[in-house]
Amino acid sequence: MRSRKPTRPGLAYDALDSVIHERARLSVLTSLVTHPKGLGFAELKAMCALTDGNLSRHLQVLKAARLIEITKDTDRHRPLTFCRMTAAGRKRYLEYLAVLEQLIREVVAGEKTDPNGETAQLPA
Amino acid sequence: MADLYKALAQIHAIRGQVARGTEFRGYGAETVAATGVLAGAAALLQSIWLKRPDEHLTAYLGIWIATAALAALLTGLQTINRTRRVHSGLARQMILSAAESFLPAILAGALVTLALARAAPQALWTLPGLWQIFYGLGIFASCRFMPRQMLAVGVWFLATGALCLSAGKGAGALSPWEMGFPFGIGQLLIALVLKFGFREADDDA
Repeated sequence: MRSRKPTRPGLAYDALDSVIHERARLSVLTSLVTHPKGLGFAELKAMCALTDGNLSRHLQVLKAARLIEITKDTDRHRPLTFCRMTAAGRKRYLEYLAVLEQLIREVVAGEKTDPNGETAQLPA
Repeated sequence: MADLYKALAQIHAIRGQVARGTEFRGYGAETVAATGVLAGAAALLQSIWLKRPDEHLTAYLGIWIATAALAALLTGLQTINRTRRVHSGLARQMILSAAESFLPAILAGALVTLALARAAPQALWTLPGLWQIFYGLGIFASCRFMPRQMLAVGVWFLATGALCLSAGKGAGALSPWEMGFPFGIGQLLIALVLKFGFREADDDA
């Protein structure tokens, strides 16, 4: 996780799920959570603008964390990889969103009360 | 700051989209079944207490509007509690989505009731049939996030509503069983679908 130390007290970046909080994986999970029936590898690759190798690597990380399930099949003798979010993955993704939202709201509240103060940097 | 607000808006949009693709498990089978029993009890009360409903329209409306209000209160409270538990991360969006689907039909039914009571009391005999049809339409509108079997329950209400409209005029108008039977059985059917129709366990949202 590429989290930085918050400059304001109370901003707990460590609460952000490190497996999910990576730009490409977040993109993959957002695509999958909004397609409950799942997506094929090619669709996912196009939606997330990733290369084959990058997508495969991130899918393996997500599968190892049991956030997604990957099934392999053939369609007219062509290999077909299909990805779907697991129930646990969906739950963790929604928890991640809640933490992220709370974090952003705290930063916004801090900005409003102290507009000239040092700004807490959000993790990239 | 603008980026932060944009991020919040995107989180809200993602949640909304997830909610739209999620089966709604906020309705509890037991409570819905209880409202079916309540409909039966109201019909029994009417059959004992109101022998000539066509001559006591206010009392007739009072019985059924009170029954509907009690059923709505029970279901509403239980749905809010259950949705918070089952769809913890999406509770607000799921409740709003369910209400947006179901309530317009119910509101239309209420407005038609008001209009008929004020402008055409001679046509009030059509109300049981119309209520069932509006209720069926509300069920159809909710089917997109319900088990597929719920379509059959929508058909049940449309069929009983049509039957009441085609055969409900005359001596048997506003019979207690025009309401008690369709809603009693219909609510029990909904409860069965809610109990056994969902594909996965309750822990996925």
